Amino acid sequence: MSPPPGLFPPLFPEGREPLPPDWTDEERQNYATNQKVSKYFGFAMESCVTKTVMAGVVGTGVGAAFSLMGATFSYEAAYGTHTQQTTKAWFRDQGQKMWRTGRSFGKVGALYSGTECVIESYRAKNDIYNPIAAGFLSGAILARNSGPTAALGGGVAFAIFSAGIELFLHRETHED
Amino acid sequence: MSFLGLGATPAGPSGPVNQQAMQMALAELDLITDVFNKVVSSCHAKCINLRYAEPDLNKGESVCIDRCVAKFFDVNKKVGERLQQAGAASQAA
Repeated sequence: MSPPPGLFPPLFPEGREPLPPDWTDEERQNYATNQKVSKYFGFAMESCVTKTVMAGVVGTGVGAAFSLMGATFSYEAAYGTHTQQTTKAWFRDQGQKMWRTGRSFGKVGALYSGTECVIESYRAKNDIYNPIAAGFLSGAILARNSGPTAALGGGVAFAIFSAGIELFLHRETHED
Repeated sequence: MSFLGLGATPAGPSGPVNQQAMQMALAELDLITDVFNKVVSSCHAKCINLRYAEPDLNKGESVCIDRCVAKFFDVNKKVGERLQQAGAASQAA
């Protein structure tokens, strides 16, 4: 294959890199198309929109799993006669609960992830202040209907929580 | 290395080597390599945290590098223009 593009200065104009000389024209076109497609794909994967959407989807999944786990602790479902109808009704009820908790978890995750990505893109720095600010904004927005003091408190709490998670994720590990 | 286009097979040299064109090409090569190395080292020093938590560039670092390279070339161009003006003024005077 041709030498990796980043390891020497950009001496060649776009279409005239020193690819192997026995490549046909079609192979060179394929190579150029592959480079362009992988560049756009990488750009899309790292964008803020993708991060927000993925955080929302994963948050929905986590919320649904959480609600399903909580169903094992609820004991009102254990009583009574269990027919096919009651089982179906239970499944439908449980599905609605899963969707509701999943939706709220997904909203929190998407809001936090989107805010952090936007703040980090604006500051062009990667440190601990991005999660703190994003957590504060997310907490304040989530608690906006309960008055200003509650919004402030919620923001502070979420900021501390998200800073703690970030510090844990980026802790010094014992690499052996 | 030979600057051949897409799909061309290597051909022999066409005529005697023009020494002046060769000198200019060598100077341009040196210039490009020098600018590239300067951009890489200064943007690395400004943008990349010394503590490596992961092998990929994260979002802040890649945004910083984009901005750093754009600013570097902008400054390069402006300083070059000012130098040219200063040189023209001192020649005219």
